[in-house]
Amino acid sequence: MKRPTAVVGVGQTQHAARRADLSIPGLIREAVDRALLDAGLGHDDIDAIVIGKAPDMLEGIAQPEQFLVGALGGHMKPVIRVHTAGSVGASTAIAAMTHVASGLYDRILTVAFEKQSEGNAMWALSPNMPFTPPLVAGAGGFFAPYCRAYIQKTGCPPHIGPVTAANARANGARNPYAHLREPMSVEDVMNSPVLWDPIRYGETCPSSDGAIALVIANEETAKKGPRKPAWIKGAASYAEAMWVPGRDQVSPSAGKICAKHVYEQAGIQDPWNDIQTAEIYVPFAWFEAMWLENLGFCDEGEGWKIIDRGEQKFGAHLPINPSGGVLCSNPIGASGMLRLGEAALQVMGRAGEHQVDGVRNALGHAYGGGAQYFAMWVVGTEL
Amino acid sequence: MSTLRNVAFVGFAQLPVVARDEHRMATEMLYPVVVDALRQVGASRDDIDYQVSASTDYMDGRPFGFVAALDVMGSWPARQDLHLEMDGSFAAYYAWVKIQTGEVDTAIVCTHGKTSEGEPERVFNLQLEPYYHAPIGIGPTASAALQASAYMARTGTTDADLAARAARNRAAGVGNSDNQVRDAASAQQLQGSPWAIEPLRSGYVPPIGETATCLVMAAEGKAEKLCDRPVWIQGVDHRAELQTLGSRDLTRSAGTALAAKKALAMANVGSARDVDLVELLSVTPVEELILLDALGLDAAASTPVVNPSGGPLCAHPIMSTGSIRLGEAFRQLSGRAGDRGVAGAKRAIAHGAQGHCLQQNIVWVLGTEKRWA
Repeated sequence: MKRPTAVVGVGQTQHAARRADLSIPGLIREAVDRALLDAGLGHDDIDAIVIGKAPDMLEGIAQPEQFLVGALGGHMKPVIRVHTAGSVGASTAIAAMTHVASGLYDRILTVAFEKQSEGNAMWALSPNMPFTPPLVAGAGGFFAPYCRAYIQKTGCPPHIGPVTAANARANGARNPYAHLREPMSVEDVMNSPVLWDPIRYGETCPSSDGAIALVIANEETAKKGPRKPAWIKGAASYAEAMWVPGRDQVSPSAGKICAKHVYEQAGIQDPWNDIQTAEIYVPFAWFEAMWLENLGFCDEGEGWKIIDRGEQKFGAHLPINPSGGVLCSNPIGASGMLRLGEAALQVMGRAGEHQVDGVRNALGHAYGGGAQYFAMWVVGTEL
Repeated sequence: MSTLRNVAFVGFAQLPVVARDEHRMATEMLYPVVVDALRQVGASRDDIDYQVSASTDYMDGRPFGFVAALDVMGSWPARQDLHLEMDGSFAAYYAWVKIQTGEVDTAIVCTHGKTSEGEPERVFNLQLEPYYHAPIGIGPTASAALQASAYMARTGTTDADLAARAARNRAAGVGNSDNQVRDAASAQQLQGSPWAIEPLRSGYVPPIGETATCLVMAAEGKAEKLCDRPVWIQGVDHRAELQTLGSRDLTRSAGTALAAKKALAMANVGSARDVDLVELLSVTPVEELILLDALGLDAAASTPVVNPSGGPLCAHPIMSTGSIRLGEAFRQLSGRAGDRGVAGAKRAIAHGAQGHCLQQNIVWVLGTEKRWA
């Protein structure tokens, strides 16, 4: 019953620490206008809007999609607002795809944004949980123990984080939309201060203003469009409970279950060889090795070895985050959709300077909560 | 409209709405509701394919409030999931869309929200456009009062008319044990209540209350096994409008009118007059009149029955109020409404809304019969 779906338009903003030149509606419009132009469609062609962003505390506006209806072109249309923590950009795009796959809608505009310069991310990301001592340490303080546990469990050597961070910057330098484009050597990262042991300043994502919009359409629209579409071959969003005794927080089962489901849909039997590039959600450098394992690109404990061998670099076997990833641009609510949109650009062959050669299948991935929410898709050149 | 999957509501659970549940967190309130809903349909959590939750961080007073709901929704092992920062009626809509893909057959739709931990008037001021609008300081009651003034000026509706309309809801709500306000009040009493914000009196606005809810949905084939009398979705549509209060006619609900037109067409129902009851997410008597007008209904007519539950004037747990409209329609059409049951009810409209002055509206047409062969 599920209908084929494809990404037919991609538009993103220039990401920066502070887009003082734009209001929030302006930021939305920069992405939306580019996506519609890219798809060769106008607002009249769009049936519904699916928008996502991370906690509303980041900008200090409750359910901001309500005041953004005009900027989204959503007047008198269905508008759906998604929020699944850090994974939200990805789960939003997948919710948009679901609208098309259902047969109820033909063309959906999906948008994700964050304008972090409007607020204070450290405060907004430090939840005060009942019966839990407040860390007031933001996402870095929350995830540092996850990284330490990974290092302890796998014997991952201390240079892996810095190597990952330096590679992300080398990639980001090829991406004109990236927030951080200045190259950074492994030594530079090593010499940067430790913020939350083992996470150094240089291994940490920035706080960005940015937005991305995608147009997701049915088969007929995709085949008629001005450009080669990115066919969505498999997609899913999963979440698991936090307080489960024995839950593996380093390699959560939700991530494995989600990846397995997506690979099955997409006909991916051997991710390492069937997928040519992956955009995965790495807010702190150590997570790259962790997710390589969780996503089934290698066995448990082997993720850091891929990085040690340099097989994740641009031009190597499986380029990871050729856009520079979250470590170069992190408008939180948009970061997940940027991963999925960049994966789409790779299969469309339109990633510009950071285009990977010979991409047939690309993975886009995001996670959120206490590594509880996972959303990902595999896009391909063929239906 | 092509043929869709027949999908039904097969279970609904909520806690009685109270002003403040002193001893429980939001998740502690949600857990027994999920258990109750699953018990109603005789299913374990493993039998349910999909889950959607609905809440808003600003009412939880912290970021990621919904993450904790995962634990009490039985999210182990990992479940296919989505969270919407929207009223539960919209979350149910997304579950219906997901079921239409054929990838899943069953879903639970959960809502939570502890309104007592904040001040809704201040919190929902922050929904407004942040540069010029929110700084004025108006909350949802103030914007509803502007809407009421405009409506009364356009239509000649009087204070006494509003009192009569509110009194009808209050009378209907007496027998509903889930309501926060269960004492009837005469129109005269309500017209004597002090101004909330003129022209709205305290008797014309909802009490602030809290609850948690869980709806269970299932596609044809499963629905009949989970419920003796499934309540089928025959049509549904939702629409957003511009927020700016000056950019739309607040005395009319164009979004509701369009959503109703689309939902009735999907249901192959000629007119809203052809349904037996209507549950409206109207937070003032003025909104009730605006919505009836948008649905093409005569406010003076005795059918369809409007808000047999007592409506939001008797209980308005923000984020859950739309789910409760669906829940009431389910109870009415499945013979679970007890003494307040509308005799012989076969079809209902359940409306949901969110945002200032009915900014976003959803219209469901539900019935005892399947829509598609």
